[in-house]
Amino acid sequence: MNYVIHLLIMINIYLVLAYSLNLVLGFGGLLSLCHAAFYGIGAYAYTLLAMHFDLPFMVALPLAMVITGLLAFFLGIPGLKFRGDPFVLVTLGFQVIIFSVLYNWVSLTKGPYGIPGIPRPEIFGFKIDSLYDFLGLTGSILILSVLFFLALYRSPFGLALKALREDERAAESLGKPSQLYLLWAFTLGGAVAAVSGALYATYVTYIDPTSFTLNESIFLVAILLVGGSGNFWGPTLGTIFLVLLPEALRFLGLPDTIAPNVRQMIYGTILIILMYWRPQGILGEFKIR
Amino acid sequence: MKLLVQLLVNGLVNGAIYALVALAFGLVYRSTRIFHIALGAVYTTAAYGMYVGVKSGLGVGLALGILTAVLLSLAVEWGIYRPFVRKGSSLGVILIASLGVYIFVENLIALLFGNEVKIISSGIEPSYTFGPLILTRIQIIQFLVGFAITGVFFWGIKKTRFLKAVWAMGEEPLLLEVLGWPITRLRNAIFVWSAVLVGLASMLVAYDVGTDPHTGLSAILLGAVAVLVGGVDSLRGWIWTAFLIAEIQSLAIWKFSAKWNDAITFLLLILVLLLKPQGLFTSESRVEER
Repeated sequence: MNYVIHLLIMINIYLVLAYSLNLVLGFGGLLSLCHAAFYGIGAYAYTLLAMHFDLPFMVALPLAMVITGLLAFFLGIPGLKFRGDPFVLVTLGFQVIIFSVLYNWVSLTKGPYGIPGIPRPEIFGFKIDSLYDFLGLTGSILILSVLFFLALYRSPFGLALKALREDERAAESLGKPSQLYLLWAFTLGGAVAAVSGALYATYVTYIDPTSFTLNESIFLVAILLVGGSGNFWGPTLGTIFLVLLPEALRFLGLPDTIAPNVRQMIYGTILIILMYWRPQGILGEFKIR
Repeated sequence: MKLLVQLLVNGLVNGAIYALVALAFGLVYRSTRIFHIALGAVYTTAAYGMYVGVKSGLGVGLALGILTAVLLSLAVEWGIYRPFVRKGSSLGVILIASLGVYIFVENLIALLFGNEVKIISSGIEPSYTFGPLILTRIQIIQFLVGFAITGVFFWGIKKTRFLKAVWAMGEEPLLLEVLGWPITRLRNAIFVWSAVLVGLASMLVAYDVGTDPHTGLSAILLGAVAVLVGGVDSLRGWIWTAFLIAEIQSLAIWKFSAKWNDAITFLLLILVLLLKPQGLFTSESRVEER
């Protein structure tokens, strides 16, 4: 039973990540490879605030969001000047640079040693400690973010992003400034990714930079490509499918030594097959250009 | 000072290798506009082909390395890229499919050979002293091979029919076909050449420091950075930039430490793309010329 609850908590955390990346990739139409970096910055910002300044969860979490959002904002200003292959390469560059900083700035982040003993959150005197408490916490944050993103996806802002995705020049000529809208999407996406980072940090109580690598960014993009993006159901399906896939393989009785490789080979194959038959993903409405 | 000179010479050696990778990536990118991430799989495969073959002699190792690289490259072109192009897929879709191929091959190799580093040459390389400099034999070979091949391309860009056709294909593939060039054969040639170039680079590195299943991607990304920073339209720019990146990494080792190399390379990429989006070594051209 604990195993099932653990999986549900991980799905909750990844759903929030997928919805936030969906804003940039599915609505903005930009293939961003630095989302795991924002996830990581959120985790580290929360952890350092909570441990060095003894800030409670309800204070450290919004601060981590602000910090990550600001970072995304300032990276977005140069980054969003690009489209197509250069954009992919530039966001990949952000990912590599942020990972290097997390890994090599040992005096701040403890680098490869990681930070153990991250305190469990305490909300209004109620200590979140057991698995069930965490399920409640991540579940309620998930519900909040679902409400937020559903409203956002349907808002004039979400529709304008969709218009920009379909035809940037036409949408601009109708008075939708692309740089401004995309910058907002990038910033909001980063800020919400920080929530996932903070939840992950307090849930696992240990973080190190290897959780926030380029491969993790590729995994997040794969969630949206497999499930589909540009609406609400695509990311939902993609997250559930890709988070549960390794567990399903475990039940097939693959030995632990080869299971990770077989899993990755399945990801690769799924990506190729989907791109050929259904480039918009299983439930998505946006095809990568 | 002595250290600096040594590092700059090491930079020249690394630059020759980066230039080979940049040429391999650039040939495909310039002609087909495909962001050929699967080239990383070709890179790794060549090293493992050599690892398997070298047990029956160095010559066999080299031949098997090149052979596996070429076969994989053609398989990707015939089995993946061509069906996608025929279907009219967008370049972004092909990029993701290419990434899928890379992930598949990377993990297939890890499954077959394990994740640990494989050493190809177990002996100690003889080294030579030139005044204050010390170079190992394999470093000298790396430099000479890389330098010779990139030199041929550097001078051949304006002279050989093949490279002219590669450039023309990037501009107007249909026109090239109308003029009687067999596009499919040209594409085959491009993928064979890119596999040979990247296979050589990979085997030269693997002979020196060994190989593991995950080296391909970062090697290819360096080549892609060199092509984009140097300017997609300028083959000479790719080569210059490959050497430039290697030298900057050497300077970074001298000034800070090797651990910031990746960050510095990508910082350079972002800065150049911002300040000179057409590439460092491309001259301004009129809109009609592009």
